[in-house]
Amino acid sequence: MITTPDLIASLATRMTPVRRLRPPAFRAAGWLLLAAIILALLAVNQGIRPDLVERLREPAFALRMLGAVLTAILAAIAAFMVSLPDRSRLWLLLPAPALAIWLLNIGYQCLTDWIAIGPEGMSPGEAARCFATLVLTSLPLSLTMLVMLRYSASLRPTAVALMGSLAIAAITATALSLFHTIDASLMILMWNVGTAAMFVGLAGTFGRRMFEWVALRSCRRN
Amino acid sequence: MIRDRNRRATPLRLVDSDERPGAHEVAPSARDLDWTILMARAQDGDRAAYLRVLQEVTPYLRSLAARRHRDPHDIEDAVQDILLTIHSIRQTYDPARPFGPWLATIANRRLIDRLRRQGRRKNREITLTLDHEAVSAPEAHLDHSPDRHELAKAINDLPPMQQQALRLLKIKEMSLKEAAAVSGVSIASLKVNVHRAMKSLRKMLLDRSEP
Repeated sequence: MITTPDLIASLATRMTPVRRLRPPAFRAAGWLLLAAIILALLAVNQGIRPDLVERLREPAFALRMLGAVLTAILAAIAAFMVSLPDRSRLWLLLPAPALAIWLLNIGYQCLTDWIAIGPEGMSPGEAARCFATLVLTSLPLSLTMLVMLRYSASLRPTAVALMGSLAIAAITATALSLFHTIDASLMILMWNVGTAAMFVGLAGTFGRRMFEWVALRSCRRN
Repeated sequence: MIRDRNRRATPLRLVDSDERPGAHEVAPSARDLDWTILMARAQDGDRAAYLRVLQEVTPYLRSLAARRHRDPHDIEDAVQDILLTIHSIRQTYDPARPFGPWLATIANRRLIDRLRRQGRRKNREITLTLDHEAVSAPEAHLDHSPDRHELAKAINDLPPMQQQALRLLKIKEMSLKEAAAVSGVSIASLKVNVHRAMKSLRKMLLDRSEP
C-alpha cells in the first residue's frame, strides 16, 4: 500500500489548475434554460395543444401547470445546491411546497370530477406521441444533468439524483400538458404522477451507479 | 437565499464564522483562513500550496477517521480515501466560503460510506473457526508431517540417555521429580542430558535446513 505522504506528493505533482464551478443558482439557471429551449423546439415541431389558452383560464389547470413549473425550477436549484459539499441538506426541502401544490391539485381534481375517458378517448396514436414527447424532453435533460453534477458521485449521489429527476419529471409533465390534450383524470394522473414516480424511482435505484459511471469516465479522461 | 445575497454584497469576505457551518465539524478559524487561501491558490495551479494544504489537513482528517475506526490500517486507508476525493472534486470549493465545512462534509461522507461498506462485508463474511475445517484432527494436517518425521529421526540419532531424558521431560512433559522416579536416573543427570539433547537437536535441525 502507498503511504499517505507519498500519496500526497503524487497528488500534488499530478495536479492541474481547475476552473471553479459557477454559483449553483447560475448553473441551475443554465440547465433550466436548456429545458426551455427543448420545450420551445418541441412546440415548433409538435405544435401547442389547440385549446391551451382557454384551458389556462381554468384555475385548476393553471394551478397544475404552475405547480409543475415551480417544482421543476425549485428542484433544479435544490439539486445543484445539494451537489456541493458545503451546502446544507435542508435545500432538499425547497421544492416541497411546489410539489405539494402540483400533486394536491391533481388529487383534488381526481376526487371532484373524475372523467374516466375524455370525449374522444385516448387513441394508441396519441399515447405514442405522448411517449415520444416524454423521451425527447427527458433524455437530453437527464444526460446534461448527469454530466453537470458528476462530481457529486462521491458525496450525496442518491439525494442529488432524486432532486434532479424530480426536476426532469416536472418539466416532462409540463411538456405533456402543453402539447397533448390530456383531459381524462386517469390520463392526467398517469402522465403526471406516473412520470414523476418513474423518474424518481429510476433515480433512486440507478442514480448512484450512473453518477459513479460518469465520474469514472471523466476521471480517466483527465 | 438571503445568505447568498449578503455574500454577493461582500465578495472578498473569506471566512464567515458567524454563519452556519455546513457540517458537524469546523476547524478553528485562523487555520481555516490559511487553508482557504492555500486551497484557492491550489485551484489556480500552485503545486506548493496544494502540497501544503494536503499535508496540513492530514492530521485533522486522521483525527476524524480515528473517531470511527480502531484499526490503524483502516484509519490510514480512510485518510487516503478522503484525500483522493478532495483531489477529484477540488473544483467544487468556493474560496468565498469557509474551507472547514467543505472539508468536514467530504471527510464525513467518505467515512460513513466506508463504514457502510465494512458493515455490508461483515454481514456477508464469517470468520472461519475450527468447526469449519473439513478435517480438524491435527494428524490430518499433512503439511506439518514432514517436520514431524525429521524431528523423530533426529531424536533417534541421539545417544540413549539423552533420548530418554528428552522423551520424559519434553514430549511427555513430566516434571523433573516424576521423570527421576520413572527412569531411576538422578535429577542432575536428567537436567544435563535434556540440555545436551536440545543443543544437539538444534544443531542437527539447523544444519539440515541450511545446507
